[in-house]
Amino acid sequence: MNINKPSPSHLWRWFDPRDKSIGTIAFIINRLSAIGLTIYLFLHLAVLSKLVAGSQAYDDFLILAKSPAIKIGEMFVIAGGIIHGLNGIRITINSLGFLLKIQNGLLVGLMIIALAAIVYFAIRMFSGA
Amino acid sequence: MNDTIWTIELKIFRQRADAQRYFQTFQIEINPDEYVLDAIEKVWAFHDRSLTFRHACHHSTCGACGMLVNGIEKLTCITSIRSVTQNNGKLLIEPLRNFPVLSDLVVDTSSMFKALEEIGFNQVASLPSACLPYERKTLEHERSEYQRLVDCIECGMCISACPVSLTDSNYLGPAVLAAAHDASSQPLSNKILEIVDSRDGLWRCHNAFECSAVCPSNVEPGLRIMKMRQTVIAHRIKKLFSRG
Amino acid sequence: METNRLQKNITENVWLWLVKIIAGLGIVIFLTIHFIVNHLVAPEGLLSYADILRYYSNPIVPIMEAGFLIFAVVHSLLGLRSIILDLNPSTKVMRFVNPLLIAVGSASIIYGLWLLLVLVQRASL
Repeated sequence: MNINKPSPSHLWRWFDPRDKSIGTIAFIINRLSAIGLTIYLFLHLAVLSKLVAGSQAYDDFLILAKSPAIKIGEMFVIAGGIIHGLNGIRITINSLGFLLKIQNGLLVGLMIIALAAIVYFAIRMFSGA
Repeated sequence: MNDTIWTIELKIFRQRADAQRYFQTFQIEINPDEYVLDAIEKVWAFHDRSLTFRHACHHSTCGACGMLVNGIEKLTCITSIRSVTQNNGKLLIEPLRNFPVLSDLVVDTSSMFKALEEIGFNQVASLPSACLPYERKTLEHERSEYQRLVDCIECGMCISACPVSLTDSNYLGPAVLAAAHDASSQPLSNKILEIVDSRDGLWRCHNAFECSAVCPSNVEPGLRIMKMRQTVIAHRIKKLFSRG
Repeated sequence: METNRLQKNITENVWLWLVKIIAGLGIVIFLTIHFIVNHLVAPEGLLSYADILRYYSNPIVPIMEAGFLIFAVVHSLLGLRSIILDLNPSTKVMRFVNPLLIAVGSASIIYGLWLLLVLVQRASL
């Protein structure tokens, strides 16, 4: 079998960072965070139906939402959102023809900002603030 | 070149048509200042005459000898042994990705050449259009009567490195989109616009810039795709408002 | 790449991509406003059902949340479609995927807006 032809069955190789440049790392993170955030969005919409069920149902749900596992999950959503958003800004800037000569630096700079924002939110979230 | 001789192990991808693929290992002695293509030629000359690979100019002009060296797209005629391994080290040699293997290290790039032809790719272009936008600033005479060879050597390495070309055979790919940018430095023709502003065109690139990272000839396909996007967006928006 | 097919898929052009990008930027803007408004209107956070009703009694909140909902649904489904396109689906598959995504998107937006209206109504009582 000729394994070299382009094929949808190679999709797992999208997520293989070996021997790749920083742009592929951004592509991998962007794709994974996109899938994660899409799943979260529809789960979130489903969970919000508890609001219609009234105060008791929602307040019961909020108690569950304060469990450490859910909080860690929320942290992943925040991290994914920040990284995806900032990488999206890079894609937009580059696609409009700007900062192309420094696109690697732009990516690194935005990811440093993302890291700082994630640390800020993690401290806020887990310090009980 | 000094007199140093290294012993290296070449692990080479072998496959005939659709037969089972396998790797064959060869040990050779080579000066580290020689190139990967020289090492492959030594294997062919002294170990196995059935090994097939493409090569022609040996000075990075023909684009025939693009291969994966230790997993990365390299033009093997200008990749020194020293830069990719060490004495008693190993080299993994595979054919380019995303093109069907014809035999061993030879892949079928005919689809790329047909697409390049269809888009109107020309090896010779006017000086301003052959240069990247940032190179134009250093031109002393940006006059269109001067012509030169364009940078793309049609090696196909950008397509091999592209994550979208990995799964979608319909995607035009960086070489063709960069060629479209090259051919469209003048006002956009309807033909080029229809080809690049399509489901399989410009909008499928996900900005990994892997094409630019592996290009041995400073074509910067990633940059050209983005510049082409800029042009097409401006064109479409202008057209939208000129209708009203 | 297949041969002789460069002009096969010309029915689709920049607009869907541009809508995805604009929706993405919309999310970034609304999310930033969301954090600021959240911080100003409910500095302690939304810790109960009553807090949420109070939050929704501020008129800027439902407008902001509605915008956020629409941008998020549009961006996520166009992004999902872009991943599906990278898997080289046949025209037949896309004929199924496109209406499905439109249906899921429309249903999600209608459901989300209905949820917002219920909350606004309860908040105004």
